[in-house]
Amino acid sequence: MTALIPRNSLAWLLIAQLVVLVPHLPRLPWWIAVLWLGCALWRVQIQRMRWGYPGRLLRVGGLLLIGLAVYVSQGTLIGLDATVMVLLLLFMLKLLEMRSPRDALVVIYLGFFIVATAFLFDQGIPLALYQGFCTLILVAALVGLQQSPARNDPAAALRRAGVMVMQALPLMLVLFLFFPRLAPLWSVNVPGSSARTGLSESMAPADIANLAQSPELAFRVEFDGQVPSASTLYWRAMTLSRFDGRTWSYDQRLEQRTAPPPDTAGAALVYQVVAEPSGRNWLYSLSGSVSSTPQVNRLADDTLRALRPLSGTFAYTATAHSDALLQPEGLSVSERRRELQLPPSGDPRARAWARQLRAEYGSDAQLIQAVLAHFSEQPFYYTLQPSPLGQHANDEFLFDSRRGFCEHYAGAMAFVLRAAGIPARIVTGYQGGELNPRGGYLLVHQFDAHAWVEAWLPGTGWTAFDPTFQVAPTRIERGLEEAMREEGSFLAEAPLSGARYRGVSWLNSLRLSWDDLNYQWQRRVLNFRSEEQLALFRHWLGTADWQRIGVIVLALVFTLMAVQAFFWLRPARRTGTPAQRAWQQLDRRLRPLGLGAQAGEGPRDWQQRIGCALPSQADLLAAFFDCFVAQQYAGGNADAALLRAHLKRLVRNLPRRRSAGLPVKRRLL
Amino acid sequence: MSEAIRERLRQWHRGWLRRRIPPAQQIRLDHRRIFIIPSKAGAGFLLLLAIMLVGAINYQNSLVYGLTFTLLSLFWVALHHTYRNLAGVQLRATGGRPVFAGEQAPLGLVLSSSRREHQALRLSWPQAGLHTVDVPAGGEQALTLYYPTNHRGWLILERLRVETRFPLGWFQAWSLVDLDWQVLVYPRPVSRPLPRGSAPEGSEHDQDQALVEGVDDFQGLRAYQPGDSRRRLDWRAWSRGQGLHSKIFAEPQQQSLWLDLTSAVGRDLEERLGVMTGWVLALENARRAYGLSLPGQRIEPALGPAHREQCLRALALYGLEPQR
Repeated sequence: MTALIPRNSLAWLLIAQLVVLVPHLPRLPWWIAVLWLGCALWRVQIQRMRWGYPGRLLRVGGLLLIGLAVYVSQGTLIGLDATVMVLLLLFMLKLLEMRSPRDALVVIYLGFFIVATAFLFDQGIPLALYQGFCTLILVAALVGLQQSPARNDPAAALRRAGVMVMQALPLMLVLFLFFPRLAPLWSVNVPGSSARTGLSESMAPADIANLAQSPELAFRVEFDGQVPSASTLYWRAMTLSRFDGRTWSYDQRLEQRTAPPPDTAGAALVYQVVAEPSGRNWLYSLSGSVSSTPQVNRLADDTLRALRPLSGTFAYTATAHSDALLQPEGLSVSERRRELQLPPSGDPRARAWARQLRAEYGSDAQLIQAVLAHFSEQPFYYTLQPSPLGQHANDEFLFDSRRGFCEHYAGAMAFVLRAAGIPARIVTGYQGGELNPRGGYLLVHQFDAHAWVEAWLPGTGWTAFDPTFQVAPTRIERGLEEAMREEGSFLAEAPLSGARYRGVSWLNSLRLSWDDLNYQWQRRVLNFRSEEQLALFRHWLGTADWQRIGVIVLALVFTLMAVQAFFWLRPARRTGTPAQRAWQQLDRRLRPLGLGAQAGEGPRDWQQRIGCALPSQADLLAAFFDCFVAQQYAGGNADAALLRAHLKRLVRNLPRRRSAGLPVKRRLL
Repeated sequence: MSEAIRERLRQWHRGWLRRRIPPAQQIRLDHRRIFIIPSKAGAGFLLLLAIMLVGAINYQNSLVYGLTFTLLSLFWVALHHTYRNLAGVQLRATGGRPVFAGEQAPLGLVLSSSRREHQALRLSWPQAGLHTVDVPAGGEQALTLYYPTNHRGWLILERLRVETRFPLGWFQAWSLVDLDWQVLVYPRPVSRPLPRGSAPEGSEHDQDQALVEGVDDFQGLRAYQPGDSRRRLDWRAWSRGQGLHSKIFAEPQQQSLWLDLTSAVGRDLEERLGVMTGWVLALENARRAYGLSLPGQRIEPALGPAHREQCLRALALYGLEPQR
């Protein structure tokens, strides 16, 4: 039995394929869209009996060609991107092989799967809404496939699909909230592990200035309590200790060292960070922070690390302590050597200046103050467009150009401190943030990227110094946009970015509202993982014991299913005429009294039988049965309400139980 | 051995069905009469969901979880939609006419709905093709099904399978109904030369010329009986006020023919009955009166549709139970 695919179903299938493919197209080569158009056209021509199905040779050739095309465009045949691409191509080519409704079913199932894979690449609200729409279309295509061939009613299919999806939502919500979030069964290659815009593990002059052109979001942070002032918020991402004469870079060996126990002196400040996917595993924290989130490590330099690179948004909670000191007990010999390391040559003028300062100031703190004073007193200029620097970058910056962005100031200062014998390192991260007054959280963008210096001082341990503050205090206090107002270079390369138009108030408020929605989406939906689920259970069910939770959840699910089944499956109530329904109602009421209607019994006989048993009700009985006979047999002017009224009066006066003066047969016998 | 067990199982199943859904001319499908299980497509869909769930777990992706659970809930919703698409359908058999063995017996059926619309109901027998019908809400859908016949006698029908997979194809809900169609199957006609004008021995019917109404020779008048042709009414007598009379004509009588089972030659009883059937049809065509003689049964010679049907019925049911 080979049924054909009706035209109506084919139209649904083509629409479904198109909507499912659209979100994938931007990631894929352009010819995919052309190929789909070709396949769709071919299939339509097959339906019109103009063209035939492709032969076996063409099909095998097509498969080989797919493999080749994927290999050429992705460079591999394994890995998630290549797999999804193969899946998409099969999805499209299946059109040309789709003969029976069963093949069409395969296409629709593949469609569901492809909708799911799109979520691995993007999880924003717009995509989620769009994929909901795609699901609806796919379900409608399924309905179209089941409709009888004679029926050509796409609107009915869509309506039915909509009703079914709406009816599925309650159970879906319960399952979403209560299905246990398990740990990954095996490790997978997560898309987006490749690095994106953001900090890198090394810092050369102009690196951060480039980053400052990006309006992308780095992370959001919410505080328990008052949001501290922006100028105190130095978000540390990593420390750079190695210097090769031009580039400061991260020292991998840091990860092997054991972190000193955290210092918890002073007031605690609790905050939750939702980091955007970076493809890296460093996290952002205030100085002196510890995190209670399980997948977060603390390193020896007091920074936080995620166990896995951030492929999606990642939420963690941390607590900062205001008076925490880092390594006040001193540095080991190897540490000291590492934090003083400089290349053997280069920047002679800066080294000479460092020697001069060392001779001038006995204490390290005084020396540092002198360096900072140099930045504020000399005509340094804070700019996103620094002049290019030559071989002795620090010399040229400090004594010639004096134009630079934060990495120039921090790099030069760390160099001078090391040359003067003070252990120093660069800290990169972000500074400040934009308050979203609607959601009460801070937005930290890529253009908030910053670099500053930490120097080790006896007694206080590692202490932060920000040379940029000496040059451009507005940057620290009011952000980059204010600092670059004169220069006009803020987000000059991103003219369409919303963050650039913060001056336009209605636009800005729209932007912040949208961001708030996204933030809630990320926190409450995308990051709904096992910890969040457990917290929810504790809050609602008052227990974190899996056995009890399991019982409660199963009870909940089954109750919901039973209620739904009851409403959907109860038999159609309104059958027969009003008179017949009244008859059945009276029958149900009288059956316990042993006076139910007998098979083949007419109304008058029944009336007489009841009347014998209940002589006191004779009048009411007569009223009801007269009305019943008139309506059931005379037809015409049937007044259902009148009959109901008679029935109601009669039923109200009937005895509840058999014993109430009824002749009970058993006793008579 | 295993064949015997299978036959026992089939018997048991048939008996169980008869108790659960007794044969009736009119059947309303409800929870007692509907069976529902996931279809192959539904099982495939569950497999797909399992894969998606593993993906959601491995990629820790909330939205994939969300999609998986939406589809799983949809599966649950589809169960009820499929059930409801079948529940409440009323099937009513509207008689069939007799056929000769080997022909397709036409069986009238009316599907009606009290409230809901019922879409894509598939009606089928294992032996016969598939019909897909829609029943409009509160309306009726009449159709004629055809069932192949092989043997004479009352047609024994398999139960009609009424199935639906609408709306998503993930479940099949079905019922097996016996609508108690009464269809008589006449023997398969076999064409043979007519027997010589033989009469069964000991019969006096040779001389007894049955009066057969013909068209040629006017014989007389008879009081009008309902059913008499208007063309044969004696209008003149009526206009004279003598009441309504029919004219009666006599045909030059051919000798009427007795058809006897013993004179029919064939390999077996069935073929001989087939030969008799062929004679009945031939004589009816030739408008020649015939009588039927079967062991234990005699039908006096006559002509006309009613006589033809009586004879064919006798042949169809010869040696069988007269009632179903």
